Amino acid sequence: MATHKAFTQEWLDAWKQKIAGSQEYKEIAKEWEGSVGLICNADPSKNIPNPVYLFTDYWHGDVRDFLVCDETKVQTAKFIMTGDYARWKQVAKKELDATKALMQGKLKLKGDLTYVVRNVKTINKVIDLLTEVQTVWPDDV
Amino acid sequence: MELHITNHAAEVPFSFMVQELLTGNIEKSEAKYAVYKKMRGIAAIDLPDIEAAVSLHFGQGTLTIEPGISPDAAIIIRTQAAQVMDLNALNIRWGLPYYFDEAGRKVIGLLFSGKIKIKGLLSHPVLLTRLTIIMSVM
Repeated sequence: MATHKAFTQEWLDAWKQKIAGSQEYKEIAKEWEGSVGLICNADPSKNIPNPVYLFTDYWHGDVRDFLVCDETKVQTAKFIMTGDYARWKQVAKKELDATKALMQGKLKLKGDLTYVVRNVKTINKVIDLLTEVQTVWPDDV
Repeated sequence: MELHITNHAAEVPFSFMVQELLTGNIEKSEAKYAVYKKMRGIAAIDLPDIEAAVSLHFGQGTLTIEPGISPDAAIIIRTQAAQVMDLNALNIRWGLPYYFDEAGRKVIGLLFSGKIKIKGLLSHPVLLTRLTIIMSVM
């Protein structure tokens, strides 16, 4: 199975492909509409010299743009999740539950929390699919 | 719609989630606002797996969130962080939590299996029902 460097366009494309190919996701995400911006804070000690901005867009079970982007673009997302590199890595490796991370303040969410809670299964499924992407992490190189 | 919510539990990140969730829920629904204005008493939520606990002090139109479990709490909901979301998913029908659909049956199952423990379930049913209504995101 191909491996991808985390936070690259290829990595995002692989994630998007996983989501688009999941029938279970299509069922779960029927109600979800809107984009999610992901921000990984800079951590030079982990080879993340600058913040990373990712834009992902979902629409009623379909997936649309998945882009490495700039801060301006990420701020246009309906929801924005922000966290340190170590937290994102834990989430992507299934070592940290995203819901728990939000409750513990390890990840921050900007956007309508009630909508997110109502659609928590969609979020969990998207993250489950991310864990299936074979990833090379910047601090593991 | 004035909610008068004060959060004194800044050291518990979960408290902000509860505050935001309740604010969002109540502001979107006149029915939930009416329920909120009737609420009086203390309900606590304890999530031992993430070492987070807050007490919600309701005063008929005001809410103060305090850290930890108040000794005067009429209701204490103790569960895992992931399962507290299942309580938020309960549907409200005819003004009451509805336990006869998938979400409701799941909560009943969690209660019977002991995965959600509620102190005050039988002694304070009105406060619990009202809390469930305003916590529901459905």
